[in-house]
Amino acid sequence: MSANHERCQKAAEKEMTAQPPNAPRILYPYAPVILLLLAAAPLGFGCGVFWALGALLLAAVSLMTVRRLASETGKGAGQEWLLDEGLLQAQKLAAIGQLSAGVAHEINNPLAIIRQESQWMQTLLKTDHFQGFEEAGELRDSLGVIIQQVDRCKAITHNLLDFARKRQPVIQALAVNRLVEDMARLVDKEAQQKKIQIIKHLAPDLPPIYSDAPQLRQVFLNILNNATYAIQKSGQVTITTRPAGQDFLEIIISDSGPGIAPEDLPRIFDPFFTTKPPGQGTGLGLSICHGIIEKLGGRITVASQAGQGAAFTISLPIKPQDRKL
Amino acid sequence: MSPKVLLVDDEERFRTTLSKLLKAHGLEVTDLGSGREALEELRKKAYDVIVLDVRMPEMDGIAVLGEIKKINPLLEVIILTGHASMDAATKIMWLGAYEFLLKPCPVEDLLDKIESAYERKTTREAKKREEGD
Repeated sequence: MSANHERCQKAAEKEMTAQPPNAPRILYPYAPVILLLLAAAPLGFGCGVFWALGALLLAAVSLMTVRRLASETGKGAGQEWLLDEGLLQAQKLAAIGQLSAGVAHEINNPLAIIRQESQWMQTLLKTDHFQGFEEAGELRDSLGVIIQQVDRCKAITHNLLDFARKRQPVIQALAVNRLVEDMARLVDKEAQQKKIQIIKHLAPDLPPIYSDAPQLRQVFLNILNNATYAIQKSGQVTITTRPAGQDFLEIIISDSGPGIAPEDLPRIFDPFFTTKPPGQGTGLGLSICHGIIEKLGGRITVASQAGQGAAFTISLPIKPQDRKL
Repeated sequence: MSPKVLLVDDEERFRTTLSKLLKAHGLEVTDLGSGREALEELRKKAYDVIVLDVRMPEMDGIAVLGEIKKINPLLEVIILTGHASMDAATKIMWLGAYEFLLKPCPVEDLLDKIESAYERKTTREAKKREEGD
């Protein structure tokens, strides 16, 4: 063993037995022994040497026990300390995620008040009382700018919430049909208003899959929202679930919208790529969906012909994927 | 006939201004600051649509929604909150909320949702009456 290796090993041993900064410390480890000796001293003088020796023996045993306890506690805490170092990074990331979600949520409420007060002022400006008021037009413009900027802040808070959702998947057994139905229910109201029919062909005997429910919900909701947006008014969104071999199952969401132009198809999952008019989409939705499905060990593809709608196929593994998670 | 709307939000300024805006659009609106007050009010007076916040002291919107549906399952509830999560939204929709809106939300969007929620309530009530006959 080289001297260098030995030094390293000794340093590692020292580190393992060293008191970590946050380890529980035993304050004054010899205090009980001293107290016992003090208590035993008068007994020794009063009742003879036999009692004094007995007290000293007891003190020695106490001393050994306390030292052993102190050493064991230090060792255990030291090992935890090293393990904690590994977890610290993950905890930091989770904390940043929580913080940004918290900030986003807290900002939404004051933003709502600013927007509402501006809208109320706009309503007041429309009343007869302000009709002859020379600067009314300018005030209306200013209020319009305030509302625009509030909506801009709203987009920022929503992006922060998206960041908070970029976390490690939490894998559990789940029923895909149930998740699909949950999300279809969320978009159903808006679809009805636009006269869009949501048709479901859900295979009844699908096995449960091991995946992350909140992240899959996000993906399904995003694709369903895109589908209803693409159709605009009157049409159909069809959701199909089916087994795909022994190890995978598929969820296909297709719409009767105008479809995706051939030149746009290769870029559809690229970040910041959007076919929506400026201000109506960030171009991040499908990119996030793609990332989530890849992380869950699955695959997402799109097929479309201009004028004939689009179909997104999500293929998910039934068993957890160790490689990706 | 305009719908009777009960607005429940613990943020006073938000509640009172939204109430004024909805009234300016011809709706009959009562605004209250807590879930408990809202439930007491609903036991005394008939409403069509409830606009409900989620994060409130004492009793949160999810618990209030559950109680509202016990009082009258035909009452339509629109959730209007600054604190959104996919899990909460799913839970709320399964509890029977009509819509889930995230603050800040244009008053026009809320008006649309109130109108369609009111339509749904009147349709369901008419259907129930027919079934009763």
